Amino acid sequence: MNTAISGTFGHCPVAPDALQGIKRQQTNPSRWDGANWPEFAAALRARDVELQESIAARGVFATDAGGTAYGLPHGVVIARSAQQIAALLQTAQQYRVPVTVRGGGLTTEGESVAFGGVLLDMTGMGRVLHVDAEALTVRTEAGIFWHSLAEELRRHDLDYLSAPLNLTSSVGGSLNVGGIDVNSPRLGCSADQALALQVVTPTGEIVECSDTRNMELFQRVILGYGQFGVITEATLKVRRYTPITMQYFYYSSLRTAIEDLQMLDRSNASDYSGILTIMDCAVNLLVAFDSPERKAAFRANWQPRLRGRGEFGFALCMLGRYALRPWKLPEAWYLYQRKRDVFPEFRRPEHLRNGVMHDRTVVFSRAVWKHWGSRQMVIPDLATSAEKFVEAVERGNAVCRKYFPCYTLYCVGIRLRADHRPHYEMSCVPPDAEGWAYGCEFEPMTRGRVYSRDHLQSFKNEIYDIGVDIGASCYRFGGMMKGYIRRIFGDALVDRHLAMKRAADPAMILNRDVIF
Amino acid sequence: MKSGFGLFSPAPRPDYSACSGCSLCLLVCPVWRKTHDLTLTPHARAKALQHGARSTDIAASVESCTLCGACEPACPEEIDLVGMMIALRRQLPRSPALQAVHDRMDGAAARPLAQPASNRSFLPDAALNKRRETLARVAALLGSAVAADDGADIALALETGAAVPAPRLERFLAPLRAMKTIVVADGLLLRHLRGWLPRTKIAGLGATLSRLPAVQRGLRTTDLYVIEPRAYHADHARLVRHYDRLRVETGCAMNLDLQRIAIPVTARNLQQRLGLEPPDDSAQARWILHRRKIQRIVVESVEDITAFEQVCDWPVVHLADLADDGKMIAGVES
Repeated sequence: MNTAISGTFGHCPVAPDALQGIKRQQTNPSRWDGANWPEFAAALRARDVELQESIAARGVFATDAGGTAYGLPHGVVIARSAQQIAALLQTAQQYRVPVTVRGGGLTTEGESVAFGGVLLDMTGMGRVLHVDAEALTVRTEAGIFWHSLAEELRRHDLDYLSAPLNLTSSVGGSLNVGGIDVNSPRLGCSADQALALQVVTPTGEIVECSDTRNMELFQRVILGYGQFGVITEATLKVRRYTPITMQYFYYSSLRTAIEDLQMLDRSNASDYSGILTIMDCAVNLLVAFDSPERKAAFRANWQPRLRGRGEFGFALCMLGRYALRPWKLPEAWYLYQRKRDVFPEFRRPEHLRNGVMHDRTVVFSRAVWKHWGSRQMVIPDLATSAEKFVEAVERGNAVCRKYFPCYTLYCVGIRLRADHRPHYEMSCVPPDAEGWAYGCEFEPMTRGRVYSRDHLQSFKNEIYDIGVDIGASCYRFGGMMKGYIRRIFGDALVDRHLAMKRAADPAMILNRDVIF
Repeated sequence: MKSGFGLFSPAPRPDYSACSGCSLCLLVCPVWRKTHDLTLTPHARAKALQHGARSTDIAASVESCTLCGACEPACPEEIDLVGMMIALRRQLPRSPALQAVHDRMDGAAARPLAQPASNRSFLPDAALNKRRETLARVAALLGSAVAADDGADIALALETGAAVPAPRLERFLAPLRAMKTIVVADGLLLRHLRGWLPRTKIAGLGATLSRLPAVQRGLRTTDLYVIEPRAYHADHARLVRHYDRLRVETGCAMNLDLQRIAIPVTARNLQQRLGLEPPDDSAQARWILHRRKIQRIVVESVEDITAFEQVCDWPVVHLADLADDGKMIAGVES
């Protein structure tokens, strides 16, 4: 790959010579041509399924949170019941009409964008059905947002275990792809919290499944990217609500911060942990605790081993760094601005009581949307075993540097369940990970700048090429990135899953543009 | 987008084009809670407008909004969602009901101006005006005269998207310009008054009353305190701290969700506000009360009293009624 800088303008990542050695990936799925749509729509309505075909109703779903993939469904169905979805899928099989399922729509590669056919909006099924405070479980409709679930659970003084830090992921969507939180190093991903599911299969059967009942379907649907059924209800483990105490450590080296993070995870030293960078020379390791006892144990046993500094010490360190490098003052100004803007978000007084943070998911998620959200987002990622993680992050960081002046890395561990290994097949969990997998998201800060699709796609390709090179997996391998699936998982595994998909979904209608 | 270079003037608030589609507005939207129909949400309206839709294309969505303003503090892009909604309503075809709103404003514009008696004024809303006893108690607590022109017709016009004629607006604002302090019960009117009279101190009724020690003394740990959402959301960044302190100091529960956004009780769409459809506030009231361990409900807005009385047996009192518990002498603590 030729990445040499030439001339006075620096390297252009979308120049004709920039992609040598990088296979171009398909970025727009082939569009379904609309065959049989009128007959299908009439048949669906004959079964009392409401189908919205106005441009206003369809246009809402033109893109996903990524904002780089655009497509329009022919019609929209708002999910209301498993029976309604069964009728939809049976009719869709009959007329070979694609059905794309959308939860919170927080995909970034167009996985929840319909390129024709039906868009099934699962947020219509958002009720909590039953809370069992004794058994610490909840039964909920799968279209519910995690935050809406939290609102209901709080009235019982309960909380969910782990969920993506954005408030508007849906339960069903997260169970399909993973769902990572800063407590995943202890509690695993969201998908591992599911005890049982109600699923509507691609041919329209309504099936209850779990680790002991219809086990094979359960294994395929969990982390299944929506290929083997629509999750309509889920029974999840929950826990007692606890506020948390936070502690931050600052590093100037990614490698050191990651090594310390993994040491803490292995030692079960904290209840929450993760890394968030402002720049690759300003790395924040956050740890948090559910109880004063856990925090005290951390301070006594593990904090002395950490190589990071406190906020004041790190600020002094940075002052020294930039005093010796005055030509890097713009970088220092960026760091200062970022600290000034972002840090208060994590210290909002209405969420703090005597140093204890209440509703940490609200605090974190609102900060994420406010300071990292935009109309166009690309967040390529790599998921590796613990051993390969430092290399993956350092190489990914170099790619970020090449493409964007500012970016953030978010790193977190994911505790794996040995008994769920069949769930992890062809998922974001890399096959060689034991005990923990580690994920890193590489998120450019576009800061109002508009980048070409080619620029963004080239960036993603380079990140994913690292994954192929070192034998990693990734979280967002569907949609526009599905060209990488065979490179990551190999033909044998993909063909086996494709055969299962064909058997389960004869007309290949369900989320057909996502994986295969 | 989120900060301007101007040192002395705030950056203009972004419009729908800034919407990133995060859906945080859905989490707090009473219409979405009731319908789970994405097309009836701020998210969908912004997306439709981004892709070239006109107000009439999304008329059902525009009419469904309750203007509670909960979406505004939820929006990470800080989009002027209430302003956007009012602008969209202005673009809808004028209905006979809207014509009646215009006629009412024309009538009010023709009435003679009354001279204000003091430099403090209180503008009650339509619901409070109907409860004369509570109104008198509020006025006494505030130590303010009830304004001769309460602007109820203008508040309705803002709600419905009817343009306020310049003569009517001038007649309304002329006596208020002499005021140092204006307390406003209608949250939507309050929001606009701050723009019309930028040098005057304009406060919401709930926030003002809840600062009175006599009122605070009347609050119990077993109370559910119900914040009026429009005024609260219009000034959320400041008021969230006030109500947080109040909650800590009194121990009462509040109609706040986990994002510290007020859950509205009376959430009424355009047709309901115009009296063309019956109100249906019971679902919102039930959700606020769900699994609460309380003995009494204290409301800032008189409008909320009926909604709660329809779904529960707990006593429902107005904030001004609490002052009696503290042996409040009218006007002393204003």
